[in-house]
This record gives sequence, C-alpha cells and structure tokens, in this order.
Amino acid sequence: MDPGGALVNVFSETWSYLTDGANWSGSGGIVARLLEQLLITGTALALAVLIGLPLALWLGHLGRGGFLAINISNIGRAVPTFALLALLVAADWPGSADFGPYGRAGLATLIALVLFALPPLITNAYVGVREVPAEILEAADGMGMSSWQRFRRVELPLALPVVASGVRLALVQLWATATIAALVAGPGLGRIITEGFARNDYGQGLAGAVVVAVVALFLELFAALLQRVAEPVRRAPSPERGAQLSASGSTVAEAPTRG
Amino acid sequence: MLLRRPLATALSAGLLLLVTACAGDDLDSDSADDPATSGGGEGTSVVIGSQSFDEAALVTAMYQQVLEAEGYDVETRLVDTRPAYLGEMPDAVQIAPEYVAGIVDQLNTDANGPDAAPISTSDAAETIEAGSALLEEKGLTLLDPSPAFSANGYFVSTEASPDVTALSDLKGQQVTLAAAPDCKGRADCEKGLVDTYGIDITLEPLGYASPETFKAVLDGEAQLGQTSTLDGTLEEQGLLLLEDDLGIQPAQNLVPAVSTAFLDEHPDVADPLNALMAALDNETLAELLVRVQVDREKAEDVAADFLASADLL
Amino acid sequence: MSEAPVGVRSMTVTVPTAAGSAAEPSCYSRFVNEWFCWQYVEDRHEEITDALVQHIAITLAALVLGVVLAFPLALLVRRVPKLQSAVLGLSTGLYTIPSLALFPLLVPFTGLSATTVVIGLGLYALTILVRALLDGLASVPDEVREAATGLGHGRARLLLRVELPLALPVAMAGLRVAAVSTVALTTVGTLVAYGGLGNLISHGVQRDFRAELVTAAALCVALAVVLDALLVLLQRVLTPWTRAVPS
Repeated sequence: MDPGGALVNVFSETWSYLTDGANWSGSGGIVARLLEQLLITGTALALAVLIGLPLALWLGHLGRGGFLAINISNIGRAVPTFALLALLVAADWPGSADFGPYGRAGLATLIALVLFALPPLITNAYVGVREVPAEILEAADGMGMSSWQRFRRVELPLALPVVASGVRLALVQLWATATIAALVAGPGLGRIITEGFARNDYGQGLAGAVVVAVVALFLELFAALLQRVAEPVRRAPSPERGAQLSASGSTVAEAPTRG
Repeated sequence: MLLRRPLATALSAGLLLLVTACAGDDLDSDSADDPATSGGGEGTSVVIGSQSFDEAALVTAMYQQVLEAEGYDVETRLVDTRPAYLGEMPDAVQIAPEYVAGIVDQLNTDANGPDAAPISTSDAAETIEAGSALLEEKGLTLLDPSPAFSANGYFVSTEASPDVTALSDLKGQQVTLAAAPDCKGRADCEKGLVDTYGIDITLEPLGYASPETFKAVLDGEAQLGQTSTLDGTLEEQGLLLLEDDLGIQPAQNLVPAVSTAFLDEHPDVADPLNALMAALDNETLAELLVRVQVDREKAEDVAADFLASADLL
Repeated sequence: MSEAPVGVRSMTVTVPTAAGSAAEPSCYSRFVNEWFCWQYVEDRHEEITDALVQHIAITLAALVLGVVLAFPLALLVRRVPKLQSAVLGLSTGLYTIPSLALFPLLVPFTGLSATTVVIGLGLYALTILVRALLDGLASVPDEVREAATGLGHGRARLLLRVELPLALPVAMAGLRVAAVSTVALTTVGTLVAYGGLGNLISHGVQRDFRAELVTAAALCVALAVVLDALLVLLQRVLTPWTRAVPS
C-alpha cells in the first residue's frame, strides 16, 4: 500500500465523516458532545473563579500566603490531569456515574477540571494584586482609605486586567483539558476521537480532532475579542499576552498548565 | 566563564546522545512486520492479532508460547476491537485466536453490510461451512474448533431477582440491560432477547463485563448485565448467569484463524494449535480465567502454568 | 438443529468460583482491590519499568526537540523582529490545540508511533521555550550589551559569551515549566498506545485496577519532581553566579 495513497484515503474518510449529517446529530453526535464539553468547561470555569478568585485576591491584598499562592501552580502542573481524573473515576465517589447533563463520569470530570483550573487562577490573581505599585497603595492609605476601601477601589480595578487575562487563559486551557475526559469515557468531543481510534476508524478519529482544534482556536479568538471589548484601554505596560507563557521572574508561575 | 562553554557543550552533547540512544531502543518498536518469509519454521516471525480483553489476552498468550516452543519468533498485537486487527489479516497479521460465530459473522457484515443477517448457527461445524466462501475470499483458514466456547452470557443479581434462573423467566418483563454499546440490534444480544425471549429491553451501554456493568446490576440500576459465559467472578459477587434455554447464542467455540498463505508455507503450525484447542474446555478455561480476572495474575504466567501441566509445550 | 458436542444449547456450565483458587488473595486481586499495594509493585515491576522507561524516553526526546527548534527560532526572531508576531502567534495557536486532538492530526504523517507523541509534545514545549528564550534575551540589560560591544565583541561572541549566559536563568525557568508539563502530557499519548505511565493509568481505570492506577500516578508526579530538581541542579552548575532564582 503506497503511503501517499493511504494518506489521501484517511483525509477523504475524515471529510466524509464530517459531511455526513448523521454524525452530527444524536446523543453521541458531534453537536451533542460539543454542547456537553461547552457546558462542563463553562461550569468548571465558573466554579474555579468563584472559589479561587476571592480567596486569592484577598490574600494578595493582605500579602499573606504568598509562597503557597505562587507555588501552587508548580505543584498543580506536576499532577497529570488524566491521572487525577482516573483516580476520581475509579474511586467509589464520584465514580463513573451519570451526572445529569454532564453525562457519564460528569462529576469526576467537573471536580478534576476545577482542581486543574484553580492553581493558575489563584497564582495569577495573587500576583495581579501584589503588582499594584507601592506608591499607589501609599497614596490610597494617605487619602485615608480603609483596608477594604483600598482593596475595592484601588487594588481590585488595577489588578483586573491581569486577572481577566488569567481567566481568559483558564477558559482555553479548561477546554483543552476537558477533551481528556474521553480517556475515561467521560463527556465531550474527545469521545469522538477515542471511539474512532478504538474502532480503527481514523476518519472518525481525525474528524473529531479537527472539530476539537477548530473550536479551541475559535474559543481563543472569541475570548481575546471579549477581553478587548471589556477593556479597550490597556493600562500601564502590562505584560503582553504572550508573556503569560513566559517564565520571567515572578511570572514563572503564570505559565499555563494544560491538557 | 572559561569553563562554562565547554562544560555546557559537553553536557548538552552528552544528554543528546544519551537520549537518542535510549529513545532509539524504545521508540522503534512499532516497525511494521514483514509477512513471514517462506520456507523453514525455525526463527520465522509470525504476528498474532487479537482483542485485548482478559480472555482473549489469555488465549493469545497460550498461542504465543505454543508457537515459540515450535521455534517461531512471535509478536502479538492486542487491540480494542476485532476490525482493528482483522483489517491487517492475512498479510501483516497471520494468526488470530478467534471464535467461530464471531469471525464468520464479522466477515459477513464486512462483505454484505452492517444490516446483513448473521449466518452463524448454534452448531460450530454448520457455521464454519456457512462461512467457508467468505473465509476463502479473505484468505483465512479456520483450524479445529475447541470444545470450549465463550458466548454472551446474561446475569442477574440473586438478591434482586431471586427466582430467575433462565432467560425465559424474564418473558414479558421490562428490563434494563447493561451491555456493550454494540449490543443493539444483535441477534445474540438485544435483538435476540427482544424477539426470541419477548423481553422488553432498555439498553444501557455500560460495556461488556465492565466494572460499570457489574455495579449497575448490583446497585439495581439495571436488572440484567452482559458478560462472558466463562466469567468466574459472578458467584462471589452474588450474581447468577441465566440459562440461554431458547438458544440465541451462536456457536462461539474458540478456533484459530490462520492466513491460508502462511499455513501453506508453514503447515507445522496447525498441529500445536489444534492440540491446544483440544486441550481446552469450558471448565479449564473458566478456572484459568478466574486466575487472570480475580487474582489478577499475569496472562503469560497463567498460560505457562496451564501449558506445562497439559504437556503442550 | 443437531446437538453436536460443540453446540451451544442449554448451558449448564459449572464455573468454579474464585474461592477455590489462590491461598490468600493478594491486595491487588479484584475483590480486595486496595489502593496501595506493594505486592503489585513487586509482581509487576517489569511492566512498570517498561512504562516508566518509555515515559522518560518520550519526555526527554520531546524536550530535546523543543530546545533544538526553539533556539534558532528565537535567534531568528531577534534578528528579524518583524517575524515576532507571526512566530508567537503561530506557536500560541498550536498551543491552543488540545493534545488529544494534536496527536490524531499527526497520525496520518507519523503513524501510531512514539514519534507522533514526541513531535506533538515537542511543539508544545517549543511554544514555552521560544518565549522563555526571548524573554531571557530581552532581560539582558542594555548597558551590559553596549559594554560588551564596546569591548569589541562581535555579534556571535556577544551572543555566546554575554547574552545567552545572562538569559539562562529565565530560559531555564521556562525549561522547567516545559519539562513538568511534558511529563504530565505524555500520559495522553496512550491514545496511540505510547503514553508511558499513561498506558498503565488507562488500563487501571478500564479494569478498575486501583493499585496499578495509584502506582502509575505516583510515579508520574515523582518523575516530574525529579526532573524539575535535576534542572534546578543543572541551572546551578551552569550559572553559579546567580543566587537561587525565586520561582
């Protein structure tokens, strides 16, 4: 079998899978899986933000718990999400039971995703507050603001761009990591990929991969757009978005974990 | 500073070499095997393809050890589903531990479409005869079938369904069945249960003999679960295999499927494999399977023990 | 229907139970199924070692690939600043693609092999390393650069003797991040059957084999920690003039 021919074969199989309407509809179809994954990504992000942000922002304000807040990302990065997910599924609770609209192993996936998203959000928020220039804080104190007032009217707004950046990054990373749920037969588009590979149907496997990749890129652009709309004026030369991935100084911890 | 550069260079060069060496060893294990060369049995390479569930892995280990004792260089490929290795037969994969009705029906649906009616019956000889044209076209030969067979079995919880011992006891009842996803529409699964036994089935695709399937029946989420007739873990879990009194299970006797071309060049593979088939029966295979599934012994070890005790090596 | 001896009619298969087999079930047998079981490690050490070695090989190969690609790329971007947004944009785009999708996209070209996993992970590492290198090089103070040029250092010597060593701390920090991420992501390679310890994790979750799962997961984390520590050591060796860089 000539390798060139095999290549073309796979791509044509992928195309026919994507253009077959039946593959899009139904409970295991592309649309259903897409919605499943969007739902679980959104829920996990919301939960992680609700749980992690207030805590990290307040700690940043107090200047306490810095060591943990910054290093929690390093620790979190060392734990493979796949392993965490597998452990949660194999345990008696949460196990692999159906969890409403989140599908099979939904609760385990949700917990794993929230645990995955928390460290970078926490580190990011903490650093964001800490990076508010000392002179501004002194000025606020000089104006007679109470601790809470200073937090609410000075630190929070100034930290917001960094925090927003972190939330946006978390969204994309959560989407990427949610695909891994397929490895434990959980919800999401990853299932199309794993099912294709299990049946040696590489047309299906590739088709799933293409859809996942396209949606991921779309989400990234969409989130970037949202952020630009939300704050059209960039403040002080905050680190270029790209620097989120860099490792300079204290922002090492900001480098994303991913799935 | 003077020492820095040479040191760094040396370190990186060394690391690179080390990595390439180690990686090379471990990473090149996927090279596709050439089809076995003709002539001579000693040292000839042969590839066995099979599914990866416990029973198949156990039997594959037996095949491997029996052939290695004949001097063959055996490589095994365990995959998730039958099509994954069947597609490589008869060229890249030469031997597969098969089931009579399983292979025949698969070839039938491959040739005539997924909705083709199965041509297997509950008699092994009849089924092989019915599939002979398909086998010939594929280039495969089936050797002697074993008295041991492994068909779909359906179990209930003795606690939840105390008076049920046969599938016909469930006639007319509404039953949730935890089974493999491909159970739907199969004559030896959902279709047979609905049409032949008259059971009102709701299918939950939790898997064939998977932990979820067992859990579902034990928890009461499902009343019926799918497993193999050789499953030895049932009694300990308080589960009971129901009798297939109306016979929806076709002949699923173990049988070696061998590439015809390979068999012609190496007829000496037939005898040891046939001897292995003859030595296996349900009771023996079930006992061995318990060691693999419950005690979690390695399939290779259990196979070696059996082959030694049955004097097959 | 003839009732041949190999037929499958009324089945009265007497299946022996588990109770009759081993003397005392081990802690990893199916119905004991403990999370922590040293017996499992002892009995299956070969399998575990194979998976660990595969994991290490893939991780190291991917990191080397990432470094080898990131270096010239970063230098090119410095030389031709117009390329910066293109390079960074492309690598970020690549980084956005989930690993479970990137591997299948490579399969038509590199097949079901470890190469697929290595290339995929190498591309992710590349993204992190390019930025780290660029940031590191950018962190070299201008005065130092000017001083060195003033001393007569040509471009190449400037780079090798001054800029790279000074960029090393930041670059190494990025390498550490890339290393730890790669160790974790290698597990996803189990999709194409080359996931190192991920293969054991996958098998463990499918068969409800708790000891296998825990052992593989623990080894993954341990591997990440060890690799990180080794890189810290390497950094100390290469840049002894720096104090411990806060990370």
